[in-house]
Amino acid sequence: MFASRTRVAAFTTTAALACALLAACGSAPQSSTSSAGGADAKTATSVADFGGLDKLVEAAKKEGTLHTIALPPDWANYAEIIKTFQDKYGIKIENENPDGSSSDEINAVKTRKGQDRAPDVLDLGQSFAASGAQESLYAPYKVATWDSIPAEQKDPDGKWVNDYGGYVSIGCDAAKVKVCPQTFADLLKPEYKGQVALNGNPTKSGSAYAGVYAAALANGGSFDDITPGIEFFGKLKASGNFNPVESTPATVEKGETPISIDWDYLNVGYADEFKGKGVDWKVAVPADGIFAQYYSQAINKDAPHPAAARLWQEFLFSTDGQNLWLKGYARPAALTAMTAAGTVDAAAAAKLPKVEGTPKFPSEAQAAKAKEALANGWAAAMAG
Amino acid sequence: MAIATPTIAPGPDKTAGPARKKTGQASRSWLAALPLLLFLALAFGIPAIAVLIGAFTVEDPVNNTSRLGLENMTDSLQGAYRTALWASVKLSAFVAVVGGVLGTFLAQAVVASKGTFLREAVLTASGVLANFGGVPLAFAWIATLGNAGLLTTMFGLGDTGFSLYTFWGLAIVYLYFSIPLMVVVMTPALDGLRPQWREAALNNGASGWQYWRHVGVPVLTPALIGGMVLLFGGSFAAYATAAAMVGATVPLVTLQIADALSGNVLVGHENLALALSLDMVIVAGIVMAIYLPLRNRSSRWLQ
Amino acid sequence: MAAMTTEIRRPGLGRAGVLAIAAVYFLVPLAASFWFTIHNDATGFSFSTYGDILTADGFTQSLFMSLGLGVTTIVVVLALMLPAMLAVRLGAPRLGQVLEVVCTLPLVVPPITFVAGISTVLRWAPDQLASTPFWATLIAIQKPSFPIVLVLAYVVLATPFAYRSLDAGLRAIDVKTLVEASRNLGAGWVTVMFRTILPNLRTSIASAAFLTMALVLGEYTVAVLLGFRPFAVWIVTISGANAQLSVAVSLLSLILTWALLLVVSGVGRKRT
Repeated sequence: MFASRTRVAAFTTTAALACALLAACGSAPQSSTSSAGGADAKTATSVADFGGLDKLVEAAKKEGTLHTIALPPDWANYAEIIKTFQDKYGIKIENENPDGSSSDEINAVKTRKGQDRAPDVLDLGQSFAASGAQESLYAPYKVATWDSIPAEQKDPDGKWVNDYGGYVSIGCDAAKVKVCPQTFADLLKPEYKGQVALNGNPTKSGSAYAGVYAAALANGGSFDDITPGIEFFGKLKASGNFNPVESTPATVEKGETPISIDWDYLNVGYADEFKGKGVDWKVAVPADGIFAQYYSQAINKDAPHPAAARLWQEFLFSTDGQNLWLKGYARPAALTAMTAAGTVDAAAAAKLPKVEGTPKFPSEAQAAKAKEALANGWAAAMAG
Repeated sequence: MAIATPTIAPGPDKTAGPARKKTGQASRSWLAALPLLLFLALAFGIPAIAVLIGAFTVEDPVNNTSRLGLENMTDSLQGAYRTALWASVKLSAFVAVVGGVLGTFLAQAVVASKGTFLREAVLTASGVLANFGGVPLAFAWIATLGNAGLLTTMFGLGDTGFSLYTFWGLAIVYLYFSIPLMVVVMTPALDGLRPQWREAALNNGASGWQYWRHVGVPVLTPALIGGMVLLFGGSFAAYATAAAMVGATVPLVTLQIADALSGNVLVGHENLALALSLDMVIVAGIVMAIYLPLRNRSSRWLQ
Repeated sequence: MAAMTTEIRRPGLGRAGVLAIAAVYFLVPLAASFWFTIHNDATGFSFSTYGDILTADGFTQSLFMSLGLGVTTIVVVLALMLPAMLAVRLGAPRLGQVLEVVCTLPLVVPPITFVAGISTVLRWAPDQLASTPFWATLIAIQKPSFPIVLVLAYVVLATPFAYRSLDAGLRAIDVKTLVEASRNLGAGWVTVMFRTILPNLRTSIASAAFLTMALVLGEYTVAVLLGFRPFAVWIVTISGANAQLSVAVSLLSLILTWALLLVVSGVGRKRT
């Protein structure tokens, strides 16, 4: 009895699978005018190609959905940005893999080309934006406010454009640490034994990489030479101050990593989040090692919802969008232009950690050299 | 689980020629195994070939071309990568042996107990814990033995110079998912030790220790070293726990692979990561080459 | 008889000791995590984190998807492995060696490399296979509501564990005699498999099934990098930066999986 029941079950399962697979045979449909926005949306390079913002909004609404990837809700106020966009235009945003990395985003684009599941828009690290542009993964698009973005923060053809960024900062739990460190030199003091942590390995985590670069600048290095930074962390480890745990809100709240080197917008955001939980989080941008990095926005060339993707871009670089990032303590790319024009949210701007001067960035060649040095030397410095 | 095998007079099949029966048997065996082999060839073999091709592809970012070459493989066996590979092997070997032994003791303790509920509870819990890893496992141990952990503050372990974030600390954490795996794998083998053998040994005057040494362990050896190979493979390929807990202070090859394949910093190192993966497979091949003859020798007398 | 009772009593103390040490080693870290989720220096005791999880959006959907994937994986793994391993025990030792190597190989390929390989293969669909019938197959196996590509990946990942469990079980019983006896009594191969062999392999099949189900319910890397949302991915998504929630959710998934497996094993036991 039991045998025949199992047999029947087995046969039905096989038959069902066979049917499913057979039904799933067929070649790709001929290249079609894919989206509701028509063939125009895929190749539009600016709002003018749509005939104005209203036409763009109309085309986007017809598509109805937007696929984003790797946007953590608590990162630079993305939760509010997503909600505002959804409420304003009635377009549903499906955000996948919020903890994803830039590599994951590029892989998703490459693997799901032509599928409806592919991501529409990407928010990537600078180097990934550059390499993706070289591989022709992005659609060139210049937003309406293109001129308000500094020249070194955008691709001349519009393939990618920097959206927001921040500085390396030292976050510290004043409830557990008596005197919070203000500079990289402070971190070596013996009172911080076992308390200083990075947000992962600098060979994987963007903020940790920036942290090592900033340490290099603080110890006699330059954009060309990251080795003093690696040596600094080696010294930190040897002195026992370095905690190799990847600092997350959980480890901070537990008290394991009371000092965390991370982006300033993330650290200041954590201060708000930790407020009721017994953690008094203070943030300082170290004066001896100032390192800024911006993230870049790009549109997938084969986006399944091209009009919605371009509308998202327009939204992010509008005054509202840029001010929402400011509200998340990140510095939007158009900050200088907006401050001059008076459209900036002054209250939010006042809450940013004070930093002198304009940010300078390493070139792609300098960054590549630094990454090689890290890949080869970080493990040795940590283990030794 | 003693099974009474019925004694029957040999039927007509036995009169067939032994040579003909053996070849018929062998080809039928391969036929029975065909679905499995085909499936693995498709679902594992094809991605593996893709990895292989990637490992031997060298890209030239300046000219945006790619060609076949050995550079990735040679790079993957030098400097930081070689240290990481060796450290991974050491860690996995330690966890395999220690986890194997401890797991077997635990499995025996469970099998020998009388309550069936305890047995089911431990077996199912072992199945669950064998797959418990990554950030939650790392956090559980950080919360217990980290610098600000529960036990560290309770017993003042920090003053003794103890740190969880070392090779040995990581090994202790890796045992957390290795021991349950060994329990799950060894329990069927331990069930196969007939109580009659134990009774026979006792009746012949053997002590418990002698029973284990001359009967129990030799019978278990094939399953034992098979389980240890499983533990080795599992620890070798583990990644997320170490990433969350020790970062690069314990260099591991899987960390480097993940850095290149799924990171926010390194661009264009994917093929090197695939070459590192190929190195891992080669190491596994070496382990299997040592294990298979050992297993054959230990099970020959059982055939 | 008297000699036996004294022998059996001595291991009792050692056994209790081993179980006690194991209990401490395995339960204390879980207890520390649990303590973190319910207690905070500032807010004191609270179980509210757990309430938040069960009412969160997508809990049942992702759980059922994972369960479905798990059951399918178990069926496929057993259906593929049992005939092959049985055939090996019945007299094809060379096949056994091949099977051993082939079945243990997926273990040493880290999931992230495996996904890289799968992604490369899936990438061939739009580029190379667009004009062949395989295009639609490759797309169909990536359907988000029930991705068969995940079943394929999970079967590969579960194979080493299932192989080890089934191998240990098959070694423990005298397969050759059982099969010969059944065949002599006139049983066909299917009856031999289902009425003779399987009932004797109950423990190892159960072990294999438990390991596979736990693997599928806990598997994160492959699913997230291929863009699907089974239970483990959902867990990470909803916890976000809320520290206590992320730890609580992973503990809950542990307990849930364990409860599930207990139910399954209880059902299996009742048939005896």
